[in-house]
Amino acid sequence: MHPSKPMVVGAVAYTPNVVPIWEGIRDYFADSPAPMDFVLFSNYGRQVDALIAGHIDIAWNTNLAWVRTVKQTGGACRALAMRDTDLTFSTVFITRKGSGLNGLQDLRGKKLALGSRDSAQAAILPVHFLNQAGLGQSDVDLLRIDSDLGKHGDTGHSELDALRALLDEKADAAAIGITTWDAIGRDQLMPGDALTAFWQSPQYCHCNFTALSTLPDEVSEPWVEHLLAMDWDSEAHRRILELEGLRRWVRPNLDGYASLFEAVEQQQIPDHW
Amino acid sequence: MGRVVLDLVERASVTVIGATFQVPAKNEDAQTVRDWCARSGNQLVSIQDGVATIRRGPAAAELPALPVPRLWIYSNFDCNLACDYCCARSSPKTPRRAVGLDNITRLAAQAADAGMEEIYLTGGEPFLLLDLDQIIQACTARLPTTVLTNGMLFHGRRLDMLRRMPRDRFTLQISVDSATPGQHDRHRGAGSWQRAMDGARLAIAEGFHVRVAATVAPSERNDLPAFHSMLDQLGIAAPNRIVRPVAHRGFAEDGVALTVETLVPEITVTADGVYWHPVGADHPDQLVTTQLFPLATAIGEIRRRFVAYRQALGETADRFPCA
Repeated sequence: MHPSKPMVVGAVAYTPNVVPIWEGIRDYFADSPAPMDFVLFSNYGRQVDALIAGHIDIAWNTNLAWVRTVKQTGGACRALAMRDTDLTFSTVFITRKGSGLNGLQDLRGKKLALGSRDSAQAAILPVHFLNQAGLGQSDVDLLRIDSDLGKHGDTGHSELDALRALLDEKADAAAIGITTWDAIGRDQLMPGDALTAFWQSPQYCHCNFTALSTLPDEVSEPWVEHLLAMDWDSEAHRRILELEGLRRWVRPNLDGYASLFEAVEQQQIPDHW
Repeated sequence: MGRVVLDLVERASVTVIGATFQVPAKNEDAQTVRDWCARSGNQLVSIQDGVATIRRGPAAAELPALPVPRLWIYSNFDCNLACDYCCARSSPKTPRRAVGLDNITRLAAQAADAGMEEIYLTGGEPFLLLDLDQIIQACTARLPTTVLTNGMLFHGRRLDMLRRMPRDRFTLQISVDSATPGQHDRHRGAGSWQRAMDGARLAIAEGFHVRVAATVAPSERNDLPAFHSMLDQLGIAAPNRIVRPVAHRGFAEDGVALTVETLVPEITVTADGVYWHPVGADHPDQLVTTQLFPLATAIGEIRRRFVAYRQALGETADRFPCA
């Protein structure tokens, strides 16, 4: 990697608005010591492949993509930065009001709707939390809704489908990410016989900017420093920050990935794709 | 009832900022849709016939300023002439419909407060008003002012009135359409060119800042070189010359078609209300509101519509890209 060449950052096109997001970020970096360009991928599997093959310098990865990069490179990779919101992610278990569900144990013998099986927040970690609560595969009937495979749940579609299944009484509960729960207004916009949260997971980590260990610090650090300098109080920066779902970029804290590494191991989630 | 929220979240996630999307919405969903839009920072465009239309992304915290920060006031609609292309349908028989000194004084103050940068008074022929000097004083006290006139009435008490008008922050825009009488008189009446030229010379001699404006049909543009030479001799510098086409409005049987969707607005007030643009005054399609006051309300409405028209044009361009 020649330091005079722009850094190439990969991101997955999970929504049409990734274009203005990344064009805005590229413009922000244009006059910095670390100019960059971006490449969009249709799914995280392809992006991780491109990072490992050296086609991109940095991958804007989900937590599952991070875990897969670590496993495929034998740990020869590092996280450069995250969103502040990536440090405080969680899964929420939702049910219909009046269902009588008050905790994970109440799911015994019930049906739980999950999102796409490659979604950490809506499939992999919910199963992990059930296991931690002593609930195995035969204890809870899982309704898997794989409506946005490849995107690791970024679109939120499979979680919304899980909620629809819940409203249609095809499931007794649904597990979704906290961002989806916030997007639908929690229960404040769900009047009458609608929904309520009956259990929320401990916080865990979500996305990070992943680079291979071969990317020199003197090349990555100027980029990271400029990224961290994006300012919520700047109107131009705020538009990008709002679209990407954060108030500020932060240095990585990897402690919050431990539960997902454990879940992937226990559930024998493949290292690729 | 909660399904509409799921539909809103899902459709919003695949909609580009600034574009609209639709979700089915029953009557009982209306408040939920409004609440979700307010909470999520998206704009509710409409709810009708079981469909909610939402624009993705927040409304601008502040609407952009209008490109032309100018207030037009039709001081009156009657005129000593009946020009065959008059967009305001003015003539000696047209009812006056004067805005009046008191209203113009209020308008000037509110225009200045709203960030307007200049006032243009037009008609009809404003010099038919015998309190025009007071009107000009009220306007120039707040903003630089231009009055559009045919320049033919600077005689007797109207000449006295002219001489009482300020020389600073005030411009007389006199209508002269051609270098020689033929073209001008054909549209405005026999002898009108000479009297307009006499009026322009008199105004210059009295120390006023004078601008000359011509209304020229495409077939008449051959006269323009001679027209500019005439103005050189009169001492009217290039920045003080305006040549505009005939608008297909009012008495004109032909001309440039102008609509609210294609015209950049210039706030225009008449006795009947606030209009989109001076060429459209007295035309229902360009009436924005019948309420002159507070002027800021009309200005805000025009700004809002201007943004909406531009967004619609942008979406149309997206739907019909060039090959």
